[in-house]
Amino acid sequence: MLVALVKKLARAVGVLLIVTFVTFSLMYGNGPGIARAVLGLQATQADVQREVVRLGLDQPLFVQYGRWLGGVLTGDLGTSFFTGQRVSDALATRIPVTLSLVLITLVLTVILSVLLGVTAAVYGGWVDRVVQFLAVLGAAIPSYIIAIVLIFALALTLRIFPATGYTSPDQSFVGWVSSITLPVVALLVGSIAGAASQIRSAVADVLGRDYVRTLRARGVPEREIIFVHVLRNAGGPGLIVLGLQTIYLIGGAVVIELVFALPGMGELTNTSAQQGDVPLVMGVVLVIVLIVLIVNLLSDLAGAALNPKARKA
Amino acid sequence: MRHLARRAAVVAAAVAVAVGATLSGCTSTGTGGGSSAKGTLTLGMTADIPGWTPAQPSYQGWPAMAVYDQIFRCDAKGNPQPDMADTFTFSSDNTSFTAHIRTGQKFSDGEAVDAKAVKTYLDWSAVQANSRLKGLKVTTSGDNLTATLPSANPLFKLLMCYQIVPSPKAIAAAEKTKNEVFAKPIGSGPYILDAQATTAGSVYTFTKNDDYWDSKTFPYKKLVVKVLKSDTAAINALKTGQIDGTLLSSATLKEAQSAAGLKVLTLKGPNTTRLLITDHQGKVIPALGNLDVRKAINMVFDRDSMAKDLYQGNATPAYQIFKPGSDAYIPGLKDPYPYDVAKAKALMAQAGYADGFTVPIPVIENGGNIDLLLPYVTQQLALLNIKVQQVPLSGPNMYSDLLGGKYPMPLWQLGNYGASLQDIQDYVLPSGIWNVEHQDDPTVDGIWSKIVAGEDVKKNEQAINQYTIDQAWFVPMVYADNFYGHSSKVRIDGSTDFAGLQPMLWDFK
Repeated sequence: MLVALVKKLARAVGVLLIVTFVTFSLMYGNGPGIARAVLGLQATQADVQREVVRLGLDQPLFVQYGRWLGGVLTGDLGTSFFTGQRVSDALATRIPVTLSLVLITLVLTVILSVLLGVTAAVYGGWVDRVVQFLAVLGAAIPSYIIAIVLIFALALTLRIFPATGYTSPDQSFVGWVSSITLPVVALLVGSIAGAASQIRSAVADVLGRDYVRTLRARGVPEREIIFVHVLRNAGGPGLIVLGLQTIYLIGGAVVIELVFALPGMGELTNTSAQQGDVPLVMGVVLVIVLIVLIVNLLSDLAGAALNPKARKA
Repeated sequence: MRHLARRAAVVAAAVAVAVGATLSGCTSTGTGGGSSAKGTLTLGMTADIPGWTPAQPSYQGWPAMAVYDQIFRCDAKGNPQPDMADTFTFSSDNTSFTAHIRTGQKFSDGEAVDAKAVKTYLDWSAVQANSRLKGLKVTTSGDNLTATLPSANPLFKLLMCYQIVPSPKAIAAAEKTKNEVFAKPIGSGPYILDAQATTAGSVYTFTKNDDYWDSKTFPYKKLVVKVLKSDTAAINALKTGQIDGTLLSSATLKEAQSAAGLKVLTLKGPNTTRLLITDHQGKVIPALGNLDVRKAINMVFDRDSMAKDLYQGNATPAYQIFKPGSDAYIPGLKDPYPYDVAKAKALMAQAGYADGFTVPIPVIENGGNIDLLLPYVTQQLALLNIKVQQVPLSGPNMYSDLLGGKYPMPLWQLGNYGASLQDIQDYVLPSGIWNVEHQDDPTVDGIWSKIVAGEDVKKNEQAINQYTIDQAWFVPMVYADNFYGHSSKVRIDGSTDFAGLQPMLWDFK
């Protein structure tokens, strides 16, 4: 188990280096454009060239990347080319917003999709058909459409929730809950739709296996069969789906943050990439890759806990 | 960058407007943003600020207007008015000014606002890479300050408008950083940043500086500026009372007009829609060097119809690029190139271009020309067999590419300043930022040299205008309006912005 864990960690570090290097490479070579954007179009060519040197954008790719990586290892993610704000400070205010959205959506996705998936698989018939129909419907409607409908109904018309903005839980817990409720629901619909149908299939598959029939023949209560035996065996595919949903949610948060004007990482990614603000882009990419790797690692560990065979993988 | 931001803003604003056209505890005094009690003024901002590095406040630069005071405020025509400088005189040759710096003011770090502090800022500003004050020499004598340019610049007064001044300590701190940026705003303006209640890129919160010399002009005890980049988010926030005001886009104008409790301020014609035929000499596209071709292009646009139908009445026809009322504007000018497709085709044939040619037109998402203008312009130019090749631009290089000379005839909706000298510099002079091919013209140079010498400036500005009309360097189409939506609890009598794009912070009553 320990060896497997070390291997997974080594792979994660490899992925981290590859993704960050590829990202850095994609932005490489834009030095004059970035410098001109920083200085303004009135700047002379000589000014631009000086700025390129000052920002270190004249250095070879490996030197620039090495410098960035060295900074990361010492806890220095650099400063924004445009605002001078430390990248770590910018991320510190953005990460909680995005994590609030993603984690709460994920937890609710786990609870509700398991509930719906198991219900559909166990009861079958019209219950199954309704759940499957809703899953298809939920997956088909883009989250931003759901967001717009929610804003219209619950923010503009009924005035129950705020239409925009984010309140930190430090400022007001109630305010925090109300500020993320609509964004979470907008993300949740698609997320549940994707996960519930997968869990339903996995549970239905396990329910049809011989050992379940044997358990029933031995008179084991149905509830115990489902929650102890079936869910454990259906958990593997479910975990994979939830791992993928996390990545989907981080991507979906970009749009939702824009619609609700939430100051999260999605908005920061969009702006910094447009501007060519290399330190900020790299900071955001680093955090997102770390989140994805951690989720995958946790997913693997949970899978190993459920399935002894997976511990040797 | 700030100047670019302001210009680019014109672009963004232009698009936004032209077209056809709670939890309410977010503000301290509850529903409605608290404006009724003059407690909190909460404004929406459709783009984030470009940091705290001092420069002329950019488009929607309310945060900078809040924390920094400026040497001069300026009126709607760009004429300096007293501010940090309580008395001043500019030399008649546009090379220098002498000012007395108001006494008794302090920066938020406790340092005194005095002539030396202003000099520190101007000295720093003059050596910045993007400075338009290069070579400025500043001397002080007690509370007096004299600033002198190395040579006459007719735009000197305009350049001094809204020159905001940070604390000398903030400048010294910035100079020690790698990128020489100002991480914190230390100014002497009407408000002080509340860093604890601020999230960069999202919400900026300010508390009133009661010691500010003109405190009564800023009636709100607290100012909150929220970044709401999405038009939809901005109008939703306005309708639910989360903010007290925001610029409106074409998509949100009607929604604001029909919403209860909201008012819409019309900022009349701060933009001119135009094609900029900058390849007057035909070096990139030979046909554009032919006057008949440029005239023909002018004649395929029905300006009256554009204003009425395309812009749904939120614009007026433009026959010249300059702002009505500005010095270069020629009052009573009749349409020099009335809509006449048959005559335009004849001119093309006469010039030897009956078969037309292809012209690349750059397109930037949310830029000044995409949604509304480009399809119409493409269609009209096709009447002359001129094929428009759309070139999408994006990323950090997009403005460099747009203005780098690759595209000799950009289509853009640009602001027109109350001070038309600025427009001449940006659009007409060979060095002009939007004169993208930067081609010399002896006639323009000659008239400009008279302006630099101070000879009958207004007359010569109009002469340049007339010359560009005669030479058909531009295809002006309409003056498009801007709109600002605000709560009825906030009074805004008008905009004193010399670009006319937005209410200034002191316009909120």
